[in-house]
Amino acid sequence: MAILTATGIQKNFGGVVALKNANLSCEKGKITGLLGTNGSGKSTLSKIITGVFSKDAGTIVYDGKEVEYRNPHEAKMNGISMVFQNLSLIPDLNVWQNIIFGVEDKKGIFLDNAKAIALSHEILDDLMPGIDVNQKVCNLNPGEQQITEIAKAIAVNPKILILDEPTAALEKEEVENLFRYMHKLAGKGVAMIFTSHRLWEVMEICDNVVVFRNGVNVGEMDFEKDKRDVDAIVRMITGEAAGVHVTKEYHPLSEDTMLEVSGLNYGKYLRDIGFTVKKGEVLGIGGLAGQGQNELMLALAGNYPEADGDVNIAGTKIKPNRPGNAVQNGMLFVPGDRQREGIFANNSIYYNMIFPKLGLRKQPFFTPTKKYRKEAEEICDALSVRMRNIDQELYSLSGGNQQKIVVGKWLSFDINVLLLDDPAKGVDVAAKRDLYSFIMKMVKEKDMSVILYASDNDELISYCDRLLIMYEGKIVSELKGNEIHDDSIVACSMCVNSGEGSVDEQQAE
Amino acid sequence: MNSKRNKALKSLTGRSEASTLLILIIMIIIVACLQKGFFKWSTMDGYLNAFFPLIILAMGQGIVIIAGGLDMSCGTAMAMVLCVMTKIMNPNVSSSGVTALLVGLGVALLTGIVNGIVVGYLRLPPVIATYATSYVWLGIALFVTPTPGGQMTSWFKGFYDLRKIGFNASSKQVMPTALIWLLIACIIWAVVRRTKTGRYIYAVGSHNDNSYASGINTAKIQLRAYLLNSIFIYIVAVFNAAQNGSGSAHMGDTLTLQVIAAAIVGGIAMTGGKGNVYAAIAGALIMSFVSKIIYFAGITSAYQTLVSGLIIIAAIASSILYSVRQKKALLKGVSE
Amino acid sequence: MENRPVQLEQHPVRNFYLRNNKVFNTLLMVIIVFVGGELIIGLKTGTWGTFLSVTQIFITIRLAAFIMLFGLCQQLVICVGNAGLDLSVGYIATLAGIITGHIMNSSNAGIPLALITAMAVGAFFGLGNGFFTSYLGLPSLVVTMAMANIVQGIVNAYTKAVPIDGYGSPAIVWLSSNFVGPFPCIILVIIAAVVIMTILFGKTRTGIKLLGIGANETTAYLSGVRVKKIRMMAFMVSGIVAGLTGVLLVGSLGRASMDMGSNYVMPSIVAVVVGGVAIGGGEANYLSVCLGAIVLQSLTNLFVALGWGDAGKWLGYGAILIIMLTAYIRGKRVR
Repeated sequence: MAILTATGIQKNFGGVVALKNANLSCEKGKITGLLGTNGSGKSTLSKIITGVFSKDAGTIVYDGKEVEYRNPHEAKMNGISMVFQNLSLIPDLNVWQNIIFGVEDKKGIFLDNAKAIALSHEILDDLMPGIDVNQKVCNLNPGEQQITEIAKAIAVNPKILILDEPTAALEKEEVENLFRYMHKLAGKGVAMIFTSHRLWEVMEICDNVVVFRNGVNVGEMDFEKDKRDVDAIVRMITGEAAGVHVTKEYHPLSEDTMLEVSGLNYGKYLRDIGFTVKKGEVLGIGGLAGQGQNELMLALAGNYPEADGDVNIAGTKIKPNRPGNAVQNGMLFVPGDRQREGIFANNSIYYNMIFPKLGLRKQPFFTPTKKYRKEAEEICDALSVRMRNIDQELYSLSGGNQQKIVVGKWLSFDINVLLLDDPAKGVDVAAKRDLYSFIMKMVKEKDMSVILYASDNDELISYCDRLLIMYEGKIVSELKGNEIHDDSIVACSMCVNSGEGSVDEQQAE
Repeated sequence: MNSKRNKALKSLTGRSEASTLLILIIMIIIVACLQKGFFKWSTMDGYLNAFFPLIILAMGQGIVIIAGGLDMSCGTAMAMVLCVMTKIMNPNVSSSGVTALLVGLGVALLTGIVNGIVVGYLRLPPVIATYATSYVWLGIALFVTPTPGGQMTSWFKGFYDLRKIGFNASSKQVMPTALIWLLIACIIWAVVRRTKTGRYIYAVGSHNDNSYASGINTAKIQLRAYLLNSIFIYIVAVFNAAQNGSGSAHMGDTLTLQVIAAAIVGGIAMTGGKGNVYAAIAGALIMSFVSKIIYFAGITSAYQTLVSGLIIIAAIASSILYSVRQKKALLKGVSE
Repeated sequence: MENRPVQLEQHPVRNFYLRNNKVFNTLLMVIIVFVGGELIIGLKTGTWGTFLSVTQIFITIRLAAFIMLFGLCQQLVICVGNAGLDLSVGYIATLAGIITGHIMNSSNAGIPLALITAMAVGAFFGLGNGFFTSYLGLPSLVVTMAMANIVQGIVNAYTKAVPIDGYGSPAIVWLSSNFVGPFPCIILVIIAAVVIMTILFGKTRTGIKLLGIGANETTAYLSGVRVKKIRMMAFMVSGIVAGLTGVLLVGSLGRASMDMGSNYVMPSIVAVVVGGVAIGGGEANYLSVCLGAIVLQSLTNLFVALGWGDAGKWLGYGAILIIMLTAYIRGKRVR
């Protein structure tokens, strides 16, 4: 019997539709898998059920009653517990203190620590045998932290347990423990919703899967009735070929190498990255979210002083440890998280546009205001920025227009390589179109090279000459020209094809 | 798994308290060598009375810092409570002492409430917010006591030295009154530490947002931390009043920075969420012994402020550098 | 492709007001305090025209001048963000003043050396502040407070060895204490400062960088700006200005004294907040800060006239700071 049914859920985020018509139902003692690419809405749906976001429309019926929770704590108190990817642990408390955090038992006015410790042992002896529950959580490795987070969600004896990408940080052994525990919970009648990008995991643990794309359900598969068909599922995730594949031949505009990267390392995020980019080439970086693409762009931009490696741009060798190095040599960075990295929201358009110039050498002390203003106005014109004048504060522009300024501020430079870190994220269709057509025009006219990371595969397919897929900090595949399309991207991203991906995945298959 | 790395990290975090203790022992040895008759009761009694304000205030400050805040107003708050009490007391009216105690407590708690509201509920940055409130207390203190003065009822002396009001007047073995106060302070914290509030004080200081997400009323917890601090401030004010019988509005001006330094030297991290309040006692003792050593070395008190300023910078610098190093060690492993 | 022509704002007067609304708001506060003070004093004592008069206004400006000068220091370290504040400016000025008192020794010939020495003293301690806050990431309020203690200690030690002596040079005294008609001569310094600061932040490369660092550190960093170095320099310049102000203080008092600078620290910070300049950084409006200083000095005069003296002054400063911080931050923060 279904313990929770969500019907017709809709959700917008300021003009961007996350969920159009989402439906989900989970049953006691069954594990339901949610599948879909970035932005398909599966994560949003889970967060609406637990009260992180509010829904715009639709109903959620839980245990026979219609519910709507205002925050995850309220949901938890009512039996719906969620394990988030961004951990909610308190770093300086230890494992057992975190597990019962917020719901501690008391003996009089004092905390009942003995009870808490016993409960943690009860859960962790199965989930993570051998762990010392007296360790501070900040000293654990990511896998152990993730397990602690899961234990915290379990400690309140939920009726529904939602696990959002719980295995991303886990090693193989930990995943096995988790799955065994999930079976145990299922035996006790707990309903579970499980999300993962590792397809083989979903196939292994789930009783049925629901596939999302573009905010709607596009398919289901019940593993008790049907056979596990991987290809069918991949097709559901990517969708039938909607229209014609944009076939592009792989021909760079010139044979000269503009950029050569080798041995790029940064912590656990980037492992021995190496590639080349030709003049006038548009190189895409793809793969599942969070595999190091963002870090790669930032590393090339010089944002990480601890990054290590060799970068050779148009013949000049530089170290990727200071932004100044990149900027001086024409490798310019357009961030995806523009609020944090790209704009001065309270300052004028004019200010935002002239600011990057100041990083260059040989700039006059007194800014040549007239000249700069004219330049700024011309660029805004070329990009079709909808504004009143260039003294307008940047926050008053729409997201798309703000992003045009983020790109536009570099346009008066001699650009060798333009690093685009998800430039069209959260940008409306019209602005997206303007932005890309302008950039592609510059690529043609000025032989500019572009490294493009986009979370939307369509952008990668439409604009890239070549595509590198990243997984866990490494480059795992390279697709050229007409090899680039939805199915191949998804397949490579999930390392479904044998012979690719890490050893763990091969063993799991 | 990664237990080897865990063990290494454990030793890193444990190091802070052990090294504080070690430094304290070294200080005591040095002072013992310089001071004749160090181990006599009377000498130690004298030291304890002199170091008492810093010790107790450092404990209170420690609680506030652990909760993720800071109190730049503790010095002037103490002075204000002291001035209020000595203004109220009249040696001819015995009950004025009781009035002074009650009013003083009320005023002290008020400072805790104001600071707690400003930092916890209004969410102003603690450093500058308590910097502002410190001037409010100073202003009030100047209203009450424009020039140094004040009085004390005779039995009030007992808060400083029980012998003065007749307990074991001749015995040398009695527990110093300051020590009794210290025990009371320790008991207060020992009790709080084992309650929900105590645990949440650490949690809120460690990660305010995650605590909030887990349903904790972070503002209330920080308010309670500041209230506890104000109780400790009150204790010091009572002790001071009993010791001197008069108050001056500017008495606490130089105290605040020393208190913060004492807490940090005692191993309480400025970032919050960790530290041992009892270790703040050690920190205060170390700071006090250092100034004693300077005195024995013949350096005039003119240099006291200079030295304490240097110590503070050194203490905070090493505290921050230490936590930066911890963060870097975890760069390869932690996602948050 | 759509093409929107660039248009001008409709009302040039309204445009002017909006672009300078901070200055107008603070000016309004100045007017309110003066008029309000006049009313209060008039109603209380029956004498009118003492609080709000041309002479009184200019006397207030002269007294406020030092708050404005220290306010310049604060404006510099505040605008680069990261909760920058400089509590050591008071004692740096004191130390510089004491040392240069000897150098000036009532003669104009000593001025060049005095200025250089003052700047050197200020630069030294300012650099220290800057290093510990910018490169080691220590909170600036605590660092500069500790630095204030250190400099105070040096002042104590120095004056024990070399007693305070030496009157200010006549030119400096003229600048700091004298009036030409109703106008205090020090207003020349202030006007120069306002002009320099306004040009700096409006038109120069350095000023634009300073604002960007405070507005969004990451963006500035990614554009190749050397954030840490510039923040340190801001503290150094703050120290230099404090040192020079010390020289002027000697001129104002005639002879240096051991606590001539320390009482200006708190009001210099409050002046910035009253002037409506964001305490978190990214903004600069020195004219508004100067007007804020006038507001504070005028309030102090009011307290003195009412007989509340120092107590009212400190209480008032503390309360104003809290109220204005709350008003500002409540407008920005959401959770």
